[in-house]
Amino acid sequence: MSEYTSSQMMAVAMARQVKDGSTIIVGTGLPLVAASLAKNSTAPNVRLCFETGMIDGGPIEVPTSVSDMRISYNASSLWPQYYYFGFQANAYKKKTIDIGFLGGAQIDAYGNLNSTCIGDYWHPKTRFTGSGGANGIATNCNTVIMMKHQKRRFCEKVDYLTSPGWIDGPDGRKKTGLPEVGPQAVVTELGIMRFDELTKRMYLAEYFPGITPQQIQDNTGFEMDLSRAVEADPPSQEILDILLKKVDPQRLMV
Amino acid sequence: MSYESKVMTMREAVKKYIHDGDHIALGGFVTNKKPYAAVHEIIRQGIKDLYLEGGPGGGDTDMLIGAGCVKVLFNSYMANSGFTQVSRRFRKYVEEGKILWEDYSLDVQPMMYHAAALGLPYVAVKNMLGSSLVDKWGIPEEVYKSDPKLPAFKLKVEQNPFNPDEKVCLLPTPKIDVGIIHVQQAAPDGTCRIDGPIFLDTDVAMAATHCIVTCEQIVHPDELRAEPWRNQLPNVIPDAVVEVPHGAHPSQCTNYYDYDAMYLRMYDKVSADDELFEEFLNEWIRSTKDHNEYLDKLGASRLLELKVKNGFNYVPGLKRR
Repeated sequence: MSEYTSSQMMAVAMARQVKDGSTIIVGTGLPLVAASLAKNSTAPNVRLCFETGMIDGGPIEVPTSVSDMRISYNASSLWPQYYYFGFQANAYKKKTIDIGFLGGAQIDAYGNLNSTCIGDYWHPKTRFTGSGGANGIATNCNTVIMMKHQKRRFCEKVDYLTSPGWIDGPDGRKKTGLPEVGPQAVVTELGIMRFDELTKRMYLAEYFPGITPQQIQDNTGFEMDLSRAVEADPPSQEILDILLKKVDPQRLMV
Repeated sequence: MSYESKVMTMREAVKKYIHDGDHIALGGFVTNKKPYAAVHEIIRQGIKDLYLEGGPGGGDTDMLIGAGCVKVLFNSYMANSGFTQVSRRFRKYVEEGKILWEDYSLDVQPMMYHAAALGLPYVAVKNMLGSSLVDKWGIPEEVYKSDPKLPAFKLKVEQNPFNPDEKVCLLPTPKIDVGIIHVQQAAPDGTCRIDGPIFLDTDVAMAATHCIVTCEQIVHPDELRAEPWRNQLPNVIPDAVVEVPHGAHPSQCTNYYDYDAMYLRMYDKVSADDELFEEFLNEWIRSTKDHNEYLDKLGASRLLELKVKNGFNYVPGLKRR
């Protein structure tokens, strides 16, 4: 059996969410590695788009940010940023974006995300970057979210709602005035969560090899339905080779 | 034909156009084409109480905060991504309440610049609805009301008058005094050619009352005017043109150089600590009298190693850790 770390499993699980031929919006860090991994393996025709206006880039080295020139390698176009805004704002009508990748520091049962601060907003215990492009992606696109799985991060109520998920249930987005798209999956180092069709609450869909559903509940600060969970396949040696030899040989992210 | 010249030194341009209490915006994006040479000069001149448009900020905005130049920050993101996950001076100053700040998202804030560039009074977006960006204002209401540099309030959620079923978030366009961008080539008359991503640069330049352009090289106007369709800004926009080769170091500059990853790692370390940060400012910025001395301190071989390779626009295999 192949040896791998939890962040490598995460990258592989995230890459599995990417359909070949789809168009995805990618942020920085591990999501970017996962997207590159998908493009270099199961989804060679995926179109990677970035909030900087860099569209359909084909990075062959790990970019460190969404503005890294490594992203513009073989790109279709480098838009001024305001065109990206329009592309994203029109996406839910024209169905031009399949998935946006997001990350955050806190998430609640409805997939609302916090990437702004821990504690009181005006006197934060820990301050983060703030929204970046995340709020716009969460507003306009279906999303896949990547998180560290800890009880304090999976909480009843986020300290600051930076990027809207399903708000508080099935009619949450509509009453808030948001387009009716939203989070589809949450990938952590322990497993994959999805959202119930009817209630829009998070449930456990897959747990990674060596992890139990109860372990995941123990690391989650709200009640989660475990009844539908199945064990995920481990990463193949082939995909790990692509990840570690081609996508991120300097081990910048994994 | 003869053209006017807007060429001046970095010192002259900052002295002439940037004053204590001004509202400024910087071009570039996180670790790409950030106008660091201008930022360094602002720090050298000890300019204070700036209202700073962070936008996609990185070490440039963080450095201004840490050097005590900033009174109010308009933020949507601040990190040297991949090297520093949250800019450390920014984080400290917010956590300790040493500056005022306001939060936006990094698509709404650029739209506010775009609207300012187009002379529009406000923008209407769907973004930010349902989020704390609408409910929680960083700048207190009374400060909005009393400070003439600020709009009357952060934003307003209203019905779309053309479609009453639709909610929209209305945001005022900022009144920016000075925009600073770094470009590859500029002519003395102000004509600019930007290679690679434009990001928010043309909006930052046009949104502001005054525009300082720093460039890798000053070229003859005829060179740029032979193909005017390749120029992103006409001569009528910039007020000052400053030649500062490697003026975006340690960030990237398309067709010229990659980011200086090891410098960004050094910045990550020094910006984590008050004393180390002061030493850094003194060593690299305050005791270099101008950009040329800063480059001398970096050294020729270090800069040559960052020169982009043909066909890549970065340095393949660059040492990044």
